[in-house]
Amino acid sequence: MPNPFKELILKFGVPSLAVIIIAIHFFMAHTQNLSKWKGGGYGMYTELHYVYNHIHITGMSVDSLKKSSPSIKKALSKVLLMPNRRNLQKAGEHILKITKKDSIHIQLWKPSVSSKQQSYTRVLADELYLKNTDF
Amino acid sequence: MNYFIFIKDKLANPIAISSLLLLTMVISYCVIMAEAHWQWKLPVICIGIFSWFVFRNSIKHPIIWLTLLTLLIIDLYYNYFRVANHHFMLVLVVIAVISYNYHQRSAILIKNIQLLLVVVIVTSVVQKLISPQFISGDFYYYMMNRGFLFKYFMDILPQSTEISNANAEMLSSLKTSDPNLGQTVIFKDIIPNLGLVSHVFAWTTIAMELLVATALLLKPKSNWTHLMLGLMIFGILCTRIETGFMGLLAICGLMLSKNRYLKWIYVTIISACILLVATRIGLH
Repeated sequence: MPNPFKELILKFGVPSLAVIIIAIHFFMAHTQNLSKWKGGGYGMYTELHYVYNHIHITGMSVDSLKKSSPSIKKALSKVLLMPNRRNLQKAGEHILKITKKDSIHIQLWKPSVSSKQQSYTRVLADELYLKNTDF
Repeated sequence: MNYFIFIKDKLANPIAISSLLLLTMVISYCVIMAEAHWQWKLPVICIGIFSWFVFRNSIKHPIIWLTLLTLLIIDLYYNYFRVANHHFMLVLVVIAVISYNYHQRSAILIKNIQLLLVVVIVTSVVQKLISPQFISGDFYYYMMNRGFLFKYFMDILPQSTEISNANAEMLSSLKTSDPNLGQTVIFKDIIPNLGLVSHVFAWTTIAMELLVATALLLKPKSNWTHLMLGLMIFGILCTRIETGFMGLLAICGLMLSKNRYLKWIYVTIISACILLVATRIGLH
């Protein structure tokens, strides 16, 4: 006599695990603004890739900052992948700490495409002014 | 002739052949991913190889599969939000195959794979439906004007490559400019009425995926279901060479399929995908 619980686990264990991973993705996408492309949510090719998100820092070159410090590169990559206030603030604070500047103006821009207007532009998603005395 | 009989015999047991192809695909994938966190992977590989040489005849555990699963989980642990979506599916399919090694009930493995395929495709449909950029056709519009879709068919259309290159140049100069200036790029379309074409293509994609998911749920072994799944996989491969994910979907299709000709089609797609993954021509 087969154990019904074991049968259930054998039949639905793997698909349930897939559903749990998908639920985590949707939770993260909803609360942390995680990109659809990542996290096991199978949302690739449903919106522009997160690498098209753009970080602009007034008076600083983002490319040079990335090259100068792997930790800055990591923090900025996280902002692109999960563009939320918390990650933007953390990246800004980290840059201030590393560069020893007094203040920073960091902006996050998202791409906007319109097939009707045949256009591509960038839209401001969030921005922060930080002083090194703020934290 | 002997070769054909050999292949025919192999195809008579789709689980065996699909496990073999899955093993080849996972090994190729793990080799490509080997560099990341090698300090953890190296001991796992050494222990795996040692155990296989010493214990393979004395224990019943699938040592190679368990080693590969551990390698996949290491990547998942360190890069949960960085790995591709099919990495998750690969882990789940490997778990299903390992579990089959213990219970040896093909009906359960087939149920696992069927439901997994349905869950993955339905989620993909939901993600598309909740994305305004996708349902408006704007996503496909951008991708086609940049030459990212149907890349290998672009030469058929006159001047399309030149137009997509010109669009890329405009976007490249936009990228280096200050976004506060509010500059906008006006695309040149690679074909007339691309906006409408993109919109129709977006909804066709959703309809096709929904149809395949429904067919897999209701009639997982029907020839029509597998014809549609095969067509979807082939269509996606023509659009973009997503060989890793498509190879995996084809392996799942092969496990469920009963028809000999359809199995041949799946094996051809999987072999081509593995070849493209291993040579890094396709996306892994």
